[in-house]
Amino acid sequence: MALFENLQQAIIDGKAPLVKELTQQALSEGTKPADIFPKAIVPAMDEVGRRMRDCEFFIPEVLIAARAARAATDILRPLLVGDEATRPAGTVVCCTIKGDLHDIGKNIVAMMLESAGFRIVDLGADVSPERIVEAVREHHANLVAMSALLTTTMVNMKAVIEALAAAGLREQVKVMVGGAPVTESWARSIGADGYGKDAPAAVDLARNLVAA
Amino acid sequence: MTSRERVQMVLKHKEPDHVPLDLGASAVTGMQVDTIYRLRQALRLDERGTPVKVTEPYQMLGEIKPDLMEALGVDVVGLGKPATMFGFKNEGWKPWTTFEGTPVLVPEGFNTEPDANGDILMYPEGDKSVPASGRMPKGGFYFDSIMRQPPIDDDALKVEDNLEEFGPITDEDLDYFRREAERLSTETDKAILANFGGTAFGDIALVPAPWLKHPKGIRDVEEWYISTVTRRDYVYKIFERQCEIGIKNLEKVFAAVGNRVTAVFVSGTDFGQQNGPFISLKSYRDLFKPFHQEVNNWIHKNTQWKCFIHSCGSVRALLPDFIEAGFDIINPVQCSAAGMAPEELKKEYGDGVTFWGGGVDTQRTLPFGTPEEVRQEVCARLKIFARSGGYVFNTTHNVQARIPVENVLAMYETVRECGQYPL
Repeated sequence: MALFENLQQAIIDGKAPLVKELTQQALSEGTKPADIFPKAIVPAMDEVGRRMRDCEFFIPEVLIAARAARAATDILRPLLVGDEATRPAGTVVCCTIKGDLHDIGKNIVAMMLESAGFRIVDLGADVSPERIVEAVREHHANLVAMSALLTTTMVNMKAVIEALAAAGLREQVKVMVGGAPVTESWARSIGADGYGKDAPAAVDLARNLVAA
Repeated sequence: MTSRERVQMVLKHKEPDHVPLDLGASAVTGMQVDTIYRLRQALRLDERGTPVKVTEPYQMLGEIKPDLMEALGVDVVGLGKPATMFGFKNEGWKPWTTFEGTPVLVPEGFNTEPDANGDILMYPEGDKSVPASGRMPKGGFYFDSIMRQPPIDDDALKVEDNLEEFGPITDEDLDYFRREAERLSTETDKAILANFGGTAFGDIALVPAPWLKHPKGIRDVEEWYISTVTRRDYVYKIFERQCEIGIKNLEKVFAAVGNRVTAVFVSGTDFGQQNGPFISLKSYRDLFKPFHQEVNNWIHKNTQWKCFIHSCGSVRALLPDFIEAGFDIINPVQCSAAGMAPEELKKEYGDGVTFWGGGVDTQRTLPFGTPEEVRQEVCARLKIFARSGGYVFNTTHNVQARIPVENVLAMYETVRECGQYPL
């Protein structure tokens, strides 16, 4: 249907006002809010991820598209009813780790996960293990995504995994990590379930972890 | 052979007696103050409890005093602007203690306030009557800028708003550069790496302007990146004016310092992230390269200075264009990023540029490796990068906090042992 194709294109092109208009049009034509995710937002952001991977899109273009997608999700999220908000993807608690204020990477991952249909609980930057544990419990999260830019702060990721275990929540959530100094082997060594080298990889990883 | 001659030789791609070493000549080739304190203690340069001066308060870099330079064999000194990233000068020292408990000295304008979480807030020009511009998280080691983005009305955006910091150089600053260049070239035998400011286009560390009390225009980091696409004309006009002002300033600076300076820090804009460039090659060519070319051409035409560019991350795709734009020196050579393997960089670009950095991986080996692993990596990097000159040893970016002092010592010992020519 042309409307959804136009909406997808508007997201990819980063035209936030048009995205807002087309989303409202879709709703007024009777489309269920939850259906707009798989019909337009998820495929659009998958295409953005592909372009980023293939070096057609860079950080500015991805930020612009993610903001445009947010123009749609901001309208749609409050309209979701019952378990629509968390179905089919799940709830992700995401943050930049304690001691670290760098949040651009985390914000891009959060926006892309949200556009992939996840419900996002974004705790911001410099977040303690205790706050992450509380948020996982309160929001029944099934994923934790954390980021670090510094070698001095990436070591704090291990404390989060230990705190989740101590709170009896480790079986309930998968933990994924990322950020410039973080590597696959580091992720494994601290007991994380996965590592995303960039935002599109983080989305793929989140999908796989939830499906596992 | 003097340190200056040693550096000049490698910049001409010739092999001197040994590989020259930089530590602390710029804000991206220095060392975090807690680490300097522990290094000075380990080298028995100070009594226990002797404070170290914080000379760059944003990244909390410490002073590399002449005794430490001599102990390590440092060949380069820095000539920077008199004001720090927070707008106050490095003068009127007072005691302070880092979260690590290290005794340090900070400038009198280093006025902080704890917030409710125990974070430390820092103020532009040390003025607590205006909103804070920097934050160090509780337990942290560095400051980051607090985003002070005024509401953006696209119809009312003025290029001048983003140019407040790029005015004509003051007589006071000119006089400072003149005196310092004179002093450093006569009192030391080191090469001078100067940073006169004003020629980095869109440096994301500078966009939030933590030294300004009321920054105007586009000041939020995310908004700036977006603006490089959505407000391309606006950003281009900023760069155009900045370039014009920057070159006029360089004319005056050159008249004041002459060829006492060996290399000049032209750009610190980060173009790379861990896995690839931040922006497309086309964006670099359309938006940045013309201005890099203009500045570097002026320098090469009028001075003997070499042009230095710093860009973190994976910039392999942009390197040929950096070279074409007239850069002579590439820093920090982040070999841990995608496509930045040392052998390939040296082979493909080593004839055209000097690599300044990349001596050891500061993301992995230096903080988390053993001294033996540090030795092996440093020795291997020297053998690759320093072949036929074209190399100044430095770590990949600043030596960070929480680095085991054994690893720091192992690194400098290895530079001495493996850095003798012939390699």
